[in-house]
Amino acid sequence: MNRRRLALLALVAAVTTLGGCSSIGVKPWQRDLLARPAMAMNAYPLDAAIDDHLYFSKEASSGGRGFGGGGCGCN
Amino acid sequence: MRAIAASLPTPEPAGDVRVERREPGLHAVSFFAMASPCEVLIETRDSELARELGAAAAQEAWRVERKFSRYRDDSVLTAINRSAGRPLEVDAETAALIDFAAECHRLSEGMFDVTSGILRRVWKFDGSARLPEPADVAALLPFIGFHRLHWAPPVIALPQGMELDFGGIGKEYAVDRALDAVCAMFNGAVLVNFGGDLRTSGAPRGAPWRVGIERPDTEREARMLLDLSQGALATSGDTRRFLIRDGIRYGHILDPHSGWPVRDAPRSVTVAAGTCTEAGMFASFAILQGAGAEAYLAEQDVRYWCLR
Amino acid sequence: MQLKKSKRSVRSALMAASCALIAAPAIRAQSPDESADGDWQADSALLYYKENQGRVQAIEPVVSLAKDFGDEHVLGLKLTYDSLSGGSPNGALPSHSAQTFATPSGSSLTAPTGGTQTYTTPSGREVAQLERVTLYTTQPGSIPLDPNFHDQRVALSASWQQPLGAATRFTAGADLSHEMDFMSAGGNAAIAHDFNNKNTTLSLGANFEADAIRPIGGVPIGGSDYVLLEKGGNETKTVGGGQLGLTQVFSRHWLAQLNYSYDNSRGYQTDPYKILSVIDAGGNAVGYRFEARPTARARQSLYLENKFAIGRDVLDFSLRYLKDDWGIRSQTAELRYRWDLANGAYVEPHVRYYKQNAADFYNLYLNAADPLPQFMSADPRLASFKGTTFGVKLGMPLSDSSELSVRVEQYQQTAQDVPLAFGQLQGLDLNPGLKSLVVQFGFRFRF
Repeated sequence: MNRRRLALLALVAAVTTLGGCSSIGVKPWQRDLLARPAMAMNAYPLDAAIDDHLYFSKEASSGGRGFGGGGCGCN
Repeated sequence: MRAIAASLPTPEPAGDVRVERREPGLHAVSFFAMASPCEVLIETRDSELARELGAAAAQEAWRVERKFSRYRDDSVLTAINRSAGRPLEVDAETAALIDFAAECHRLSEGMFDVTSGILRRVWKFDGSARLPEPADVAALLPFIGFHRLHWAPPVIALPQGMELDFGGIGKEYAVDRALDAVCAMFNGAVLVNFGGDLRTSGAPRGAPWRVGIERPDTEREARMLLDLSQGALATSGDTRRFLIRDGIRYGHILDPHSGWPVRDAPRSVTVAAGTCTEAGMFASFAILQGAGAEAYLAEQDVRYWCLR
Repeated sequence: MQLKKSKRSVRSALMAASCALIAAPAIRAQSPDESADGDWQADSALLYYKENQGRVQAIEPVVSLAKDFGDEHVLGLKLTYDSLSGGSPNGALPSHSAQTFATPSGSSLTAPTGGTQTYTTPSGREVAQLERVTLYTTQPGSIPLDPNFHDQRVALSASWQQPLGAATRFTAGADLSHEMDFMSAGGNAAIAHDFNNKNTTLSLGANFEADAIRPIGGVPIGGSDYVLLEKGGNETKTVGGGQLGLTQVFSRHWLAQLNYSYDNSRGYQTDPYKILSVIDAGGNAVGYRFEARPTARARQSLYLENKFAIGRDVLDFSLRYLKDDWGIRSQTAELRYRWDLANGAYVEPHVRYYKQNAADFYNLYLNAADPLPQFMSADPRLASFKGTTFGVKLGMPLSDSSELSVRVEQYQQTAQDVPLAFGQLQGLDLNPGLKSLVVQFGFRFRF
């Protein structure tokens, strides 16, 4: 329980700190590389969904990246 | 009652873009646009990035060229010139250019006039001695005069027989637009040079750009070298288009009031300013002063180079 | 003609006019490789999955479509069809003698003479045949696999995304899934807000799922003697969860995302087809029990992903730490390097390392001498193991708006902390792990 609370606290602290730091990041005209499709966070959604489903049926862990996609009877 | 001006032409691959590494950390992208050799110098080691940025500049140059081209059926300019007196609603960019032309007409007291293009029908500057008949020139004068058209943004109504020509603004405007397009994607040093009208976003690390200005006189081969670390340069002149008769040289810059070439204009004027549009317009204003070009520029407190 | 204006006014007026002109918006014509509003973007894949030693095989076509209705209002649809065959470990241990198991398969058993068939348990008892049961025999030394593990699954999902104000996005989705013995319906919703010039994005989401479990032959009573094949009715399960995410741009080259997820499942979580071997002091199998898992499971995970642009290439590195109240702790590390080739083609090698420790109630087998625990499972998925994946993906654009891809991945699971074989179990590989191969063909296009 304590460890969970600590983790949550760390996350909230990280969020608030980053929120206050307006100096981290790039100017709008510096997004040339970030705009490339391969640099998007979920660049291959179909591959990611297939992988998630495969690992979900063979391991005890699942998700983390985001949700979506139905359940299946395999775990 | 109002027609909407022609929609933008569909983009098509308009030409080749060549990338060349001039030195480590400097790439040059070259292409052809607006009847001039164009190049974009980019301070980067990444030739793929240079190609992307150069292609963006080229796309912008071709876009501006196609949109305001006299020769294309689908350009906005042709739509305006064929409107036969009907009012036409234009888009924001065209409206901005017409506004600018109006302001330049006012600042030059009528000497700079984008409606004077129809004089090309009687004046052919091919280096020969063939001058037009004065009567033919006089016949066109009633159709020249920016004050004759009706401009209430964004609606323009051009009386029948009148035409607009953005030739005197287009190339310099394209330089500014192309540089903006490149700077939106890259914050290093860039120089955009469209046939001698150029502008830079800043000097590369180490040294300013070395720019050579061609001397119009074919006898003197040495070019004038300038160090440019910011801003723009534009040149106006009659080095290649003129007529000679009875020892009098007739340059191709025409006075819209008389329909005849400006007397005693310098052979070439180069002006330095913040943007290429501004530099180009100053150079045009100066030439329109004829004999008083240098005095005019000195009065305006701009950096210039005049050649007679 | 001399200009009569004062010397300064022309210059400043011209400067102002030029600035106004350059600042005026230019209408950019659309470039051919930008998708116009109104286009459908399709992403399709065909997946082949095969495990070693005659275990599970699957073929799965997937199609997903997305359409932007303008102003970033995007509809997404996805259809998945999954066909599974082969055999899956039923949880019993291998043995030096043949073992016979009964599996509810949907087909009834009739003897050639038309009479009923009986089933003899390992301890010699004869049990009258129950309806709709198939017998299968495992060879000595082999891991018992239920060979009638075949199923077809159809899943459909839909999502909608739209802006909520200048810097906020709202997404909502629904999923439906149907297989012979399992049905699921779920929904999710999330809000994402950008700030710091879109350098930071905070997102909050929630999801809900309701499942109906209808095993063929009914749900076995958990922990009951396998021989008796005692069954109950159908079961249900519900899952609720939430996620908090933070995405941050650190530089022109580096983007990272940190997600914290929590989910809680209530209801039937046992695998109705799996059993455990009951082993005596001599290592003999004296019986089997159905597994029984808790009806509540709470899970948390922390996920960090980093993307680096290196020239034209992209490096993707992610870590995930997960823990739940069944005692599972897992760590995952994944690395991908997208190597840009000429003409938009790319090669992307991929490496994944996964480690998990066993659930509290996981046992490779039950001791005949010990009292029956409340919860038990020998499902290899809940055991301690390490999993490593090596893969590579190749992508080739076929035109401005389409791309063909091929992906091959090899996955290997190695069991950890396997108890020593003793007595009659000696010489048997009690947990041989898993090896699987994935081949996926993908095709992305716009129409």
